[in-house]
Amino acid sequence: MIGTLIKAEWYKLKHHHIYAILIIGPLLTLLIGMLNPMMGDMGAYHPWLSLFLFMNLPYALLFLPLITGVIACIICRYEHQAGGWKQWATLPVTRTQIYVSKLILIALLVLIIQMIYGLVIFIAGTVKGFDVVFPYWTVGKFIIGGWLATFPMIALQLWAAMHWRSFAVAFTINVVFTLPSILAINSERFGPFYPWAQPFFAMYVDESMSGMLFIPISQMLLVTGGSFIVFLVLGIATFKQKAI
Amino acid sequence: MMLLMKAELAKIKRKGFLFLAFLGAFGVVAMQMVNYGVRKEWLMQQNPDYWQYYLLNIQSFIPIAIVLGGIILTIQITNVEEETNAWKQQLALPISKKSLYLAKFLVIFVYLILAASLLFLFTLMYGIFLDFKQPIPFLTIVKESFLPVLATLPIIALQLWISVVSKSQTIAITIGIVNFLLTYSAFSFPEWVPWRWPYLGQPLFNIGLGVVAGALLLIVGMYDFYRKDAK
Repeated sequence: MIGTLIKAEWYKLKHHHIYAILIIGPLLTLLIGMLNPMMGDMGAYHPWLSLFLFMNLPYALLFLPLITGVIACIICRYEHQAGGWKQWATLPVTRTQIYVSKLILIALLVLIIQMIYGLVIFIAGTVKGFDVVFPYWTVGKFIIGGWLATFPMIALQLWAAMHWRSFAVAFTINVVFTLPSILAINSERFGPFYPWAQPFFAMYVDESMSGMLFIPISQMLLVTGGSFIVFLVLGIATFKQKAI
Repeated sequence: MMLLMKAELAKIKRKGFLFLAFLGAFGVVAMQMVNYGVRKEWLMQQNPDYWQYYLLNIQSFIPIAIVLGGIILTIQITNVEEETNAWKQQLALPISKKSLYLAKFLVIFVYLILAASLLFLFTLMYGIFLDFKQPIPFLTIVKESFLPVLATLPIIALQLWISVVSKSQTIAITIGIVNFLLTYSAFSFPEWVPWRWPYLGQPLFNIGLGVVAGALLLIVGMYDFYRKDAK
């Protein structure tokens, strides 16, 4: 059932420049990372590590949380515009199924963005002729870790996008929660407990390039898992109550 | 023009513009409230001129706040027409398309100036609260609060243009995120790129170019909107 619903959602998406949205973030952060004046000074430093250092910051800290909101808005646009919420009500699917299928599709799209990001890094490094082997294991881990860490944002943004017709409201909520991460990542006390800073921590690479997902699993479970469940329950509960 | 602006103001009633202006200004200062709240002693050791260092900290967040605020305002102000497909009705009225566009721009500008005034007020209030025991540099605070708006005009004019002519607001938001990321990472780029202007590295140059490029983009957007068919 869910599979069919996800497919239906995907058809609705196709006309919304979705491919451009998937590719723009990785390319933009590559540009920002490559042009960083400090990039040239890294010298003998591990070349992949310095590339991650300059790219992961704008990407995981700001782009990833913000883009989840945009995708959530696109995914609800059709229903808001053409009275699609009513049409849903005539079909033999529960509201929870609708919600979950939208959620899964957003998560899949974010995963695709993450994979494009990995690919872009790989191509950039290869073209530049880095003489060190591409650290597959490290990149694979931060791609998956960063992806999992966006789940609370996906759930909250889907709730906002379903609730308000206006994109601007959902986007404002997104911005208000995302910006404090800039400060939160500098704080050892507060940062680890701020859900919006988790994608950054999950994608942070230290010199040893080791560690499972780079952050303690217990912290990830507590902060990311906890806030995800809260936002998910909030989203499903309000969608069930929503008058359409 | 006053009438058109009044009409625009009526349309955006209860859309949270005032709240947004407040939020932007307060948010910038609130970041420093957290910063100084957590580690005031350490920050005070960084520079003997406390006010200057405090203003420097504030300034680092102003450009991204203006860019984000501008994106949200431009999307909101075209939202009424977008949601209700009112562009056509708007154009059935005996008003010129160009002045309609200009009115929207001016309303956004007014709100940005309002946000800047609030920023001035909050910066001053929290600065006084921090009790630096040094003379208050009023003129610097005024400059820091208002001038970045002028240097950001090209980005605002571009966002308004995209927001008015694009079929879906997602395009405007996505390009907005690009502009925001470029502004946030502006120091990766050479001095002349527009995303560095709001930081006022070379105030005269940045503001002059900002106003000129902003006016140019406003005119280009206005003409593009003028010759386009109503959606």
